[in-house]
Amino acid sequence: MKVLIVNNMAPFIWGGAEELAVNLQKNLVIAGHDAEILRIPFQWEPSTRIPSQMLLARTLEIANTDHVIALKFPAYLVRHHRKSLWLLHQYRQAYDLYDAGQTNLPPGQHGADIRKAIAHADNESFAESRHIYTNSEVTRQRLLKYNGFDSKVLLPPVNDPEVFTGGESDDYIFAGGRVNSMKRQFLLLQALAKADRRVKMIIAGPPESPADTQQLHAIIEQFGLQDRVKLDLRFLPRATYVDYVNRALAVAYIPFDEDSLGYVSMEAATARKALITTTDSGGILGLVQPGETGWRAEPTAESLAEAMSAAYESKARTRQYGEGAQALWNGLGINWPETVEALLK
Amino acid sequence: MKIALCSSFMPFIRGGGRNIVDWLASTLTEAGHQVEVVYLPELDSPPDILFQQMMALRWVDLKAADRIICFRPQAHLIPHPHKILWFIHHIRTFYDLWDSPYRDFPDTARNRAIRESLIDVDTRAMGEAKTVFTNSKVVSERLKTFNGVESEVLYPPVFEPERFFSAGYNDEIVCICRLEHYKRQHLLIEALSYTKAPVRLRIMGTGASPDYGIALQQKAQLCNVADRVIVEDRWITEEEKVEHLSQCLAAAYLPIDEDSYGYPSLEASHAQKAVLTTSDSGGVLELIQDGYNGYIAEPTPESLARAMDKLYRDKNVTEAMGKNARQRLVDLKISWSQVLERLLA
Amino acid sequence: MKLVMFTPAVKTSAIGRMTRLVVRQLLSSQHEVVVVRTESQHVSATELHDFGCTVLPWEDDSQITREIESADCCVYQIGNSYEFHEGAIAWLAKAPGIVCLHDFFLGHLFFGWSQGRREEANRVLTQWYGTTIAEEYFQIHDGSVFISKTRNEAPLTEWISSMATCVITHSNWGCDRVLAACPGPVFVTPLAYDAPGANDSELPATNSKLNILTIGHVNPNKRVESCILAIASSPSLRANVRYRLVGAILPETEKRLSELAIDNGVELIISNEVNDATLSMAIREADVISCLRWPSLEAASASAIEAMLYGKATIVTDTGFYSELPDELVLKISVENEVEDLKKIFLSLHSDQTSANVLGKQAQVWAQATFTAQNYARKLEQAVPAALRANVLLSAVEHFSSIIEKWSGNPELLSTPDMLQPLSVFNTNTIV
Repeated sequence: MKVLIVNNMAPFIWGGAEELAVNLQKNLVIAGHDAEILRIPFQWEPSTRIPSQMLLARTLEIANTDHVIALKFPAYLVRHHRKSLWLLHQYRQAYDLYDAGQTNLPPGQHGADIRKAIAHADNESFAESRHIYTNSEVTRQRLLKYNGFDSKVLLPPVNDPEVFTGGESDDYIFAGGRVNSMKRQFLLLQALAKADRRVKMIIAGPPESPADTQQLHAIIEQFGLQDRVKLDLRFLPRATYVDYVNRALAVAYIPFDEDSLGYVSMEAATARKALITTTDSGGILGLVQPGETGWRAEPTAESLAEAMSAAYESKARTRQYGEGAQALWNGLGINWPETVEALLK
Repeated sequence: MKIALCSSFMPFIRGGGRNIVDWLASTLTEAGHQVEVVYLPELDSPPDILFQQMMALRWVDLKAADRIICFRPQAHLIPHPHKILWFIHHIRTFYDLWDSPYRDFPDTARNRAIRESLIDVDTRAMGEAKTVFTNSKVVSERLKTFNGVESEVLYPPVFEPERFFSAGYNDEIVCICRLEHYKRQHLLIEALSYTKAPVRLRIMGTGASPDYGIALQQKAQLCNVADRVIVEDRWITEEEKVEHLSQCLAAAYLPIDEDSYGYPSLEASHAQKAVLTTSDSGGVLELIQDGYNGYIAEPTPESLARAMDKLYRDKNVTEAMGKNARQRLVDLKISWSQVLERLLA
Repeated sequence: MKLVMFTPAVKTSAIGRMTRLVVRQLLSSQHEVVVVRTESQHVSATELHDFGCTVLPWEDDSQITREIESADCCVYQIGNSYEFHEGAIAWLAKAPGIVCLHDFFLGHLFFGWSQGRREEANRVLTQWYGTTIAEEYFQIHDGSVFISKTRNEAPLTEWISSMATCVITHSNWGCDRVLAACPGPVFVTPLAYDAPGANDSELPATNSKLNILTIGHVNPNKRVESCILAIASSPSLRANVRYRLVGAILPETEKRLSELAIDNGVELIISNEVNDATLSMAIREADVISCLRWPSLEAASASAIEAMLYGKATIVTDTGFYSELPDELVLKISVENEVEDLKKIFLSLHSDQTSANVLGKQAQVWAQATFTAQNYARKLEQAVPAALRANVLLSAVEHFSSIIEKWSGNPELLSTPDMLQPLSVFNTNTIV
């Protein structure tokens, strides 16, 4: 089939959704289809422009295409007889963020008019889609609550599972992903200070701001952790990151209330690594079964320290947890061949 | 600089009009610029849906770019304070092909009104551009005739021209391009039957349907030249193209009334081979000069045959013309450095 | 080209008469025309103008749709009478085309249309004039207050103009509102008219008085009272002027005016409604025609044109269409000094009896060359492609409006500057 992936474009900005689209295209081709990506420029400031952006998407003529997979508002407004949605984003400023008072829609009648138009346009597109998938349970809940449409959660798979081969560990706990206060790497360092002296860590990933970097350095200073933790704060080359995961003893990921599983957790499980998380981390809890695939600590330094020390107590058990994590992950069937099949149904 | 390249496209139809955009994107990125490629689908038929698509294009917001370059119609409608056109053709059925069998809609008062309005808005949109470039004198003349717009010819180079080289001159005239009736490969086969010298023909490429390729094979049989003709109806890789051009005696490219010189004649010139073309090939004649870097025959089998014999028999002339072919490219400033200089001025 | 021409067809319609001239001209230029009668059902169809081509009733949906499909363009003759133009509004909404606008004030047309459509009518009023005026509009119950109040505040010119792809009108004075609303080009061209009764046959001997004539329904806007008062203010005029009214008149008006004339010693003849021949004779017998109008609501005055075509000196109010007539060919009266100005003109005409004739003949030559069907048809030939081009843009905008409507969006979402400004490259609105 000729499959067109339709997404927004914020000119000169490249992020997770763009990566996802590229990986989806790659895997559609692997599955034997021809796939292209249509990126429609979207300008939402000022919000009075939004109707024009919606009309732009709705007016485009898509020909010579067998199937469309659309990812975001307003890209998913495009017309096509065979359209599926993999909803990464509605226009939250018309829905939950509006309710929370965080919107760029103008006050008064004008804003109300735009909201109404968005809701109706959304509902029209949802009704005319073959299947609606969302990338997280939270998105699914919002869609149900605000638009009354049910959907199936389809988690984005790991993009290159074949490189996460796991293997012999170099005895460190790896904490990957973006570094900021929501991801709470500072808490891991505070825990490290209370953990068994054997426990070592590598914290690697791009820091959101210099303040985040300084905070981590400060804690290391404060507790004298210099010889037990390595900081590699930058956008990592893929090979470096993969290597950090493959040679870890266990992987720690403790964001505050995150929607999704998180690539770090999925990649760790693929690499057969035990997982350490906290009870308020959100999505990742789906992968962390105490006694089987890893540890769920309280979001305190003491509790985390216990979990981290436990990983070193019995390395055999830790390895077993890693196997368990992989088995649990595989059992979820989140892989590209099944994802592609679902999106093309 | 942040540059957006804007063009219309038909999903899953590649080559031709996309090469100029994609190759420019690579070249600009290499030169250190940030490039965003904006491809938006468009249907030019039926006439009734044309204007709504054009109006929608006016709402595309690319202010994040320092400048935009627009290629295939109606991308030139996209507004921007620093807009440059590299105009490759109009929607020709409304322009120079209005009085031709290619117009697939009737000559009604309503469609005439669409035509007049189109020419009017095209002219105004072109007037918004800081500079208008075209890919050939043919197109520049049409811009002047129909829109009264002055333009500068900027010849489109081929991607990585240094790939092409000459390894000698065998006994084959090669024609590597789309297999379509208007490219007139059948004329070459007919001509071969009139040749006196044992010159051979190699026709490579593929078409929208297998019919024309089959017809070519049949023609070779009918003209009793099947033993001197090779027809390969399939997608030809870049490597194969480079190889065959490096070895051939000369290249042939004789489309009927083409807008510009076409990549095949350009590629042959980089490979230092003379090009055989015809007097009614249109833009090809901007590149090929009779006796200098090729032969311009009449579009008849007899005339082509005479030229083919000359190519075979007067081999040192043929080789000399091949050297001239390279020089011609320098004289016409067909190069990426020229392109960058003009587009970024 | 082929045109579908929507027009009143009854003989009593001056617009119908004008359209007949234009249609015949178009037919003789080898165009194809289909006429659609637009009168309300209750208007008797016994005596119709002879257009020389097929005439369809506006209710014949299927046939008219077929004709429109094969035509280049639709043309709508619109004036201020609902019973004459009901069908035109109905079809204009479905099949946008060129509007030949005969009246800038369309209050009565709108009022008639709004019966049974109050909500829609309110929307129209609100859109063009705001909520205050919309609320007050249907509270007015007095006929002349209706005209005097709404003609400046809410003339409804925009309502019809916004539905047209192009407007052809017959003078400039009301064009501001047309331009503000019409999405396509606006043309101003002299109305086509004729005066078949104006021949050079010998008249029966007339009296030696100065014969002044006012034609048409005797309404206050024809300023009959002012004429009577002007005559009454001079003994010489009282003795030497004969003022005749030809046209329908209400009994109470007849009584009042007669009494006014008698009280002031003015010779007033009230002829009421007459047939064509008698009317024609009356015009020929007159020395000067009073075409005073206040307020003036039409784009062009068929009566004034007719008077000039008859070669008669014509008195007009210096307003609207009349202001645009050449100063040297008609006698213009200011509104502020109506009676004084009239008195002066009457005295002047009386003192030089030939001057009326001379002026009339000059006006006749000019009118015969200007108000021609040929000119009008040529303008239509020019307007059709311009209207079609405007329609190309309208159809595209309609695509967006209908999507917004499906999204229950306020149509105003489309009219913010950041939506409209980029579209200005498509703008074709001009007066030509």
